[in-house]
Amino acid sequence: MNIDEIFDYTSFSIDREPHIILDPAICAGCRQRGCVNSCPARCYSYNEAEGSVTFVYDGCLECGTCYIVCDRNAFTRWRYPRGGFGVAFRMT
Amino acid sequence: MKQSFQAIVVGAGPAGASAALAMARAGLDVALVERGNFPGEKSMFGGLLHRMTSLEELFPDFWHRAPLERHIAKKGTTFMTAESSFHVQNETTNFSRTPYNGYTCFRPRFDRWLAEEARKAGATLITRALVEDVIMRGGKVAGVKILREGGILHAPVVVAADGVLSFTALKAGLRRPKFNVGQMAVGVKALIDLPKEVIDDRFGLSGDQGFANEYVGCTGGVRGGGFLYTNYDTVSVGLVVHLGSLRDSGKTPYDLMNSFLEQPQLAKLLKGGRLLEYSAHVIPEGGYDMIPELVGDGILVAGDAAAFCNATGVNLEGINLATHSGSLAAKTVIAAHQQNDFSRKGLNHYKDLLNDSYVMKDLKAFRHAPHMLHIDRIYQEYPELVCNMMEHIYRIDGTPKSSISKLLLRELKEKVGLKNALSDLFTAWRAL
Repeated sequence: MNIDEIFDYTSFSIDREPHIILDPAICAGCRQRGCVNSCPARCYSYNEAEGSVTFVYDGCLECGTCYIVCDRNAFTRWRYPRGGFGVAFRMT
Repeated sequence: MKQSFQAIVVGAGPAGASAALAMARAGLDVALVERGNFPGEKSMFGGLLHRMTSLEELFPDFWHRAPLERHIAKKGTTFMTAESSFHVQNETTNFSRTPYNGYTCFRPRFDRWLAEEARKAGATLITRALVEDVIMRGGKVAGVKILREGGILHAPVVVAADGVLSFTALKAGLRRPKFNVGQMAVGVKALIDLPKEVIDDRFGLSGDQGFANEYVGCTGGVRGGGFLYTNYDTVSVGLVVHLGSLRDSGKTPYDLMNSFLEQPQLAKLLKGGRLLEYSAHVIPEGGYDMIPELVGDGILVAGDAAAFCNATGVNLEGINLATHSGSLAAKTVIAAHQQNDFSRKGLNHYKDLLNDSYVMKDLKAFRHAPHMLHIDRIYQEYPELVCNMMEHIYRIDGTPKSSISKLLLRELKEKVGLKNALSDLFTAWRAL
């Protein structure tokens, strides 16, 4: 299983705007970055040169892991995608 | 669109749909609000639906009506290392007689069916509706706000059945804003395509018999375990890992999953299969100690939103508790309408019903189980011990044999230490 090919396996209806927004100032001061390794869909990445964490919402499985593992409440927004958008499980 | 109802249920999963169904059958005008395009679109679980007596009350021929994959005829547990496995299994023809003990199913089909039954009974199903807040009137919950233009629904009582993170319970002040990472796990699952005949042959099944297997020792030392459930012509395979332990390990769920799928004995079972879908979801595993406030003025909490999940280490029960709590929430709402009392005090009957049911009785009885699951040695040392010991017992190599008790003692000393072993035994005894 290659997580980079998630769009081949799982369907998404991608919204125009993100449903999760990070506060870059809080993330910049975080050394734990549990979101980066814990996210099952690899939506979070750490840029070592800039010391920043970015979240890409397209392939988000809406599982809730980042909401739990973030100790700093670094979210200026954490909600599910608007009704009808986001991940669309077919069988699972 | 109609905006006033006698009750609003947030979330059309098993808890919410059960609640709405029972309310609609009792003649209440109930709205069932779902954020997906259809109920079940956002639902994910391992794949094992335990027997649900509360749904059998609503549908005496449940197993004929619900869209199910296979009934569970055998259950197994496998202790696993990177190279070895030791397997125990229980199979009985009793589990192939109705009422079945459990099933595999797909949530996008199952949840959709149950919500459709609620709709047929008279509930108003509102999809593509993300509830973003509760409406308060005079300090009481009096409806919900939906994230869309003019999206307001009124009712004297709301059932929050919106899943593990329940933002409805949060907005109503019933759950704490911060979860304890040690009480939460994440499940990741791969759905693998295999022909029915291949599944029947590999797992020793016939007809619509199914197999449910749990694995320990397959999570790279991270607290958690694996599962494999047979569907009709697919296999659900995945891991459940504790979030605190996962975070601290620095490992990723998909790398752990790949190591699991590549373990030689598991790989043989899945050979030739193709990945159809990958999914993940958080599970509230803290048990009794993490249950939020269940009742407020004008609001009840049910299902995962109420942390009704029983992780004993043997079974991982959730949906049966969800449907049962949904039914009890419905009973409470129906009684509240008869009394015209939606205050916290009036709705407190819900807690009495829960306390008298297996939901709370089991959660209380197994309230120490989560402590046992925090013994890190369960996830690596003990499975290694079991597999090593069995290999020694079975190996014939021309040297004199040790007795099994000597072998066990030696392995225990080497892998765990006797003091730890005794303390773990005590914790496990207390938990189970």
